[in-house]
Amino acid sequence: MSLIRLALRNIAGNTFRSFVVLLCALLISGMALTTGMILFGADNSLRLAMDRLGADIIVVPEGAADRVESALLMGRPTQSWMPASVVDRVAAAMDVQAVSPQLYLATLSNASCCTVSDMFLIAYDPRTDFVVTPWLEKTIGGVLRLGEVIGGADVFVPAGEEGIKLYGYHVALKAKMEPTGTGLDRSLFLTIETAQEMARVSRIKAEKPLEIPQNSVSAVMVKVRPGCNPRAVALNILVHISGVTPILSPDMFQSQRKELTALRNGVVMALIITLVFSVLLIGLVFSMAANERRRELGVLRALGATRSFVFQVLLSEAGLLAMYGGVAGAALTILAVVLFRKLIIATLGIPFLVPALPMLAALILGGLACSLLTVMLAAMLPAYRISHEDPSIAMRE
Amino acid sequence: MKAIGIFFMLLALAIGVVPQFTNCSAQGRAIELPGGRTIPMKCHWTAMAAPAVAVPLLVVGGLMFFSRRRETLWALSLLGSVLGIFAILLPTYLIGVCASDEMLCNIAMKPTLIFGGAVTLGAGLVGLVLAGKIRSGLFTEAAGSD
Amino acid sequence: MIVFENVTKAYPVDKKNRVIALQEVNLEIPHGAFLVITGRSGSGKTTLLNLAAGLTRPTAGRVLFEDVDWRSLPDHRQSLLRNHKIGFVFQFPSLLPSLTALENVALPRIFDQGRARQGAYERARGLLRSLALGDKLGAYPRQLSVGQQQRLVIARALLNEPEILLADEPTSDLDEQTESEIMELFRQLHANTGITIVLVTHSTQLIRYGTHSIKMADGRVLPCSLLEK
Repeated sequence: MSLIRLALRNIAGNTFRSFVVLLCALLISGMALTTGMILFGADNSLRLAMDRLGADIIVVPEGAADRVESALLMGRPTQSWMPASVVDRVAAAMDVQAVSPQLYLATLSNASCCTVSDMFLIAYDPRTDFVVTPWLEKTIGGVLRLGEVIGGADVFVPAGEEGIKLYGYHVALKAKMEPTGTGLDRSLFLTIETAQEMARVSRIKAEKPLEIPQNSVSAVMVKVRPGCNPRAVALNILVHISGVTPILSPDMFQSQRKELTALRNGVVMALIITLVFSVLLIGLVFSMAANERRRELGVLRALGATRSFVFQVLLSEAGLLAMYGGVAGAALTILAVVLFRKLIIATLGIPFLVPALPMLAALILGGLACSLLTVMLAAMLPAYRISHEDPSIAMRE
Repeated sequence: MKAIGIFFMLLALAIGVVPQFTNCSAQGRAIELPGGRTIPMKCHWTAMAAPAVAVPLLVVGGLMFFSRRRETLWALSLLGSVLGIFAILLPTYLIGVCASDEMLCNIAMKPTLIFGGAVTLGAGLVGLVLAGKIRSGLFTEAAGSD
Repeated sequence: MIVFENVTKAYPVDKKNRVIALQEVNLEIPHGAFLVITGRSGSGKTTLLNLAAGLTRPTAGRVLFEDVDWRSLPDHRQSLLRNHKIGFVFQFPSLLPSLTALENVALPRIFDQGRARQGAYERARGLLRSLALGDKLGAYPRQLSVGQQQRLVIARALLNEPEILLADEPTSDLDEQTESEIMELFRQLHANTGITIVLVTHSTQLIRYGTHSIKMADGRVLPCSLLEK
């Protein structure tokens, strides 16, 4: 019989109270972990999306910045056009190392069930592209041919089909990218040539033809010369080229970041409220338990237990309940967040990807620590009070 | 053990009720065949099958609330665990849901069934352990005051 | 062995009032005595025992245990002394309900940093067998009769081979036959081991089991009540 074993027996002997404390610990751990996972998951998602875009600056038509960001982040397709001549003008700007045009297209809404409708199509120029091509070389060891596409993580070929049918034109899904938790997971990357072929076929076979304006582009991806200041380059483009908006990569998704900040504040507030109420409830439960066990604890003192031992037993009970509840809360939270990830994205309107394992482990430990600290803090005062009470008074009840 | 019984009953409600509102038929969606006829999608059948897991689980939970014998509680916990496994298998292997992640059945119904099933399985396993600790014979006890 | 020097003990009832449980008690409990203390409820018997074990401090005067004032010892030394040298049998049910009979009896050893805990279970088994509870090792207190529970408490009190046993109304909840059995147990224990026993009771019929007796009333030891056989 050790102190811990005695604490375990005491926990088992007071099941209702133990259950209440365990439930509080579970909620605290779950809330803390959920907060961390959503906030870090959203940040993680944004970072991956920015890495995926691969450009230092994205030049879009004036006034289209928000729509383009929303399309890339949440997969809500948009179409915006500017003259193709913008490409050369951007390429000529100071300190620009490389440029590559992209066309932003959308699939037909609700074209057929059980496939991804409202898909965002990003057509790139394989001759100048520096975003997709390196990834392709690494993944499939080659380039996309006519009629081939690469998809985001959520794109799939419908069961029984050999390819994806877009505007009546069949494309072969050559590869899928790693998930980002953003709208890029529901995007298709294809060459401009394939897009134009699709537009041609769509005039005959699609319910509604795909229209690609002549001599127009949706965006120009810009790589800045190494060592140069992208902000200066963007300012230069803004000043010298009219009708366009340059978006700096680090500045991307500002409105979404603001939403995330608001969400973070809300979630953190909810966590704080949960913590405060939990401390009060657990403190009350432990006070009640300590009062009911005054005589029992007085007996322990009479048998030779020191004040410190009694204090340690009570804190050990609290600690064990915190750990059990914390672990259960962490397990349930991870399961729920992983399973309901897409619902979280759809409901909260934020990008979200489950954080990578090291970060996840840190968040789990953080949640457990939160749970442990809260429960121990709540139990400390009643435990101290009861362990230092005169044993003869404690036994007088 | 009473707590596990209550837990089973709550999970049964989630497993039985949530699919009724989150399958594609409930959203007014169906497969349209040439000729205009519509047939329901797989998620519709998963939602129909869910009560077949939920109702027995509800009964198991209720019986656990009132039972005291070790053998009975052990058997009920085992049955609960098995029902939890079936709740997981329904949307994943036995019948399935729509593949597109835009569908509510995919983002809400399927995770609810899997989560509910996993938690039911976990609670059932805990019940098995606790039931095993109840002493039998002359000193048969009530299964805790929980 | 235990000396009370002009001891007074008052318990606070509220901020202003207090109850005087013991008044100017002078008493010496010799080694090897079997002292039976009688008196009505509220006469201060339990307070006397608690003071003897150092479980509470006197309001005035001092209590010496083997010539050492309890108040001069820090908490951990007091606890060590209680654990090693004093066995306590309580008036109220004092077994831990979540522990088995064996675990309850072995409990005092977990507070003892010095002695091996492993030996506690062996000794506890031996004590339980000697008290005819050998077949109840795995039983929980609620599964035992009141008499069996009291024997369990006695076994626990004897685990660390104490020098003095303090028993606070150990037979008050027992029927006559069981009471006789328990008292006979105390008598044999005293006769065989020479342990000092201080037994508090409201029943004057139990005086015959002891070697000494005193009577208390209103917090005082009645004069000329110390009787030695």
